[in-house]
Amino acid sequence: MNKTLVVVVRSLIGFFSLLIFTRVLGKQQISQLTFFEYVLGITIGSIAASLTTDLDSRAWPHWVGLVTWTAAVILVQFVVLKWRYASKFLDGEPTIVIMNGKIMEKSMKAMRYTLTDLLEQLRIKGVFDIKEVEFAVFEKNGDLSVLKKSQYQPVTPKDLNLSTTYKGISTELIYDGIIVDQNLKQVNLDRNWLKAELEKRGIKDPSEVFLALLDTSGELYIDTYADHLNSLNGVTDISDYPGPN
Amino acid sequence: MRKIIFYTVPILILSFFIFIMNSGGYYKRPRGEIDNVPKYIEAVKKDLLEEEWDGALKNAEKLELAWDKVVQRIQFSVEREEINAINAGLARLLGFIEGRDKGGALAEINEIGEHWRDLEK
Repeated sequence: MNKTLVVVVRSLIGFFSLLIFTRVLGKQQISQLTFFEYVLGITIGSIAASLTTDLDSRAWPHWVGLVTWTAAVILVQFVVLKWRYASKFLDGEPTIVIMNGKIMEKSMKAMRYTLTDLLEQLRIKGVFDIKEVEFAVFEKNGDLSVLKKSQYQPVTPKDLNLSTTYKGISTELIYDGIIVDQNLKQVNLDRNWLKAELEKRGIKDPSEVFLALLDTSGELYIDTYADHLNSLNGVTDISDYPGPN
Repeated sequence: MRKIIFYTVPILILSFFIFIMNSGGYYKRPRGEIDNVPKYIEAVKKDLLEEEWDGALKNAEKLELAWDKVVQRIQFSVEREEINAINAGLARLLGFIEGRDKGGALAEINEIGEHWRDLEK
């Protein structure tokens, strides 16, 4: 029995099974995970790890465990999606911790959420004075959403009756030196136009460009591989101690 | 077409994995004379009961060779403990045969047979 070969084969089985199962589970990001989902992730990962290296047992039972846990997660996701009442039990609800400027001590106690935690999360949100807060909601994923009192909110162009221009998503025209024809076509432009624009900026070939973006106002942002920085505004070394970077 | 590939490829990959993980029962079946483990287990047992020590030794060695062939095919789908148990059992079996210990050798060959049957379970 070649243990190395068996581990390699079982690793590939675990790796690609996890890849497929996580794709099936959906697009939730780590930052959006609730504590339970976080634990689920660890458990599924742990089963995959046992599948890979625990040669004393067959790979099959581990794989069945992996499938079962994934199926259970999908089932819960489905129930939560279709049944609001169940979602309240299974997924929990956001909790208000500051209401109309008043701290909700009872709610915080029920969640075992301390004042230190609250002040810390407020500081992370850029609020250093609790007086500024009208509402603070402790979200299901452990994040804190803060609504400042109106007098502390930043002024918007609307407050000043200023007209603004539309700003949408920029389109990538060159990515890593390669022209993205699909995107060029999408904005009704062609390679000749792009090459002319590049020549205007002294760029002879698209392969010199790392990234070219076209924003919704028609302005082109270009970053080349060659970063011509003079000695005055050269690359800033942010390291504070000599050694390898 | 893209959608079909999107679903078909993962299904094929998972099916292939399921086959590999459960292929022990299929791959332990003999492909010829040289890797026929059950045949040599029976042959050794018969020789031991008749106290044909030379025949038992010859068949036990053939059993060891057959097992070495089979283990290459089944190693991805069976427990390492079962493989180790058969390896150790074979070593002890050869020792008992060389020492002309009928009881010990019979016990070992029966245990090897049991582990062989349990391989894919």
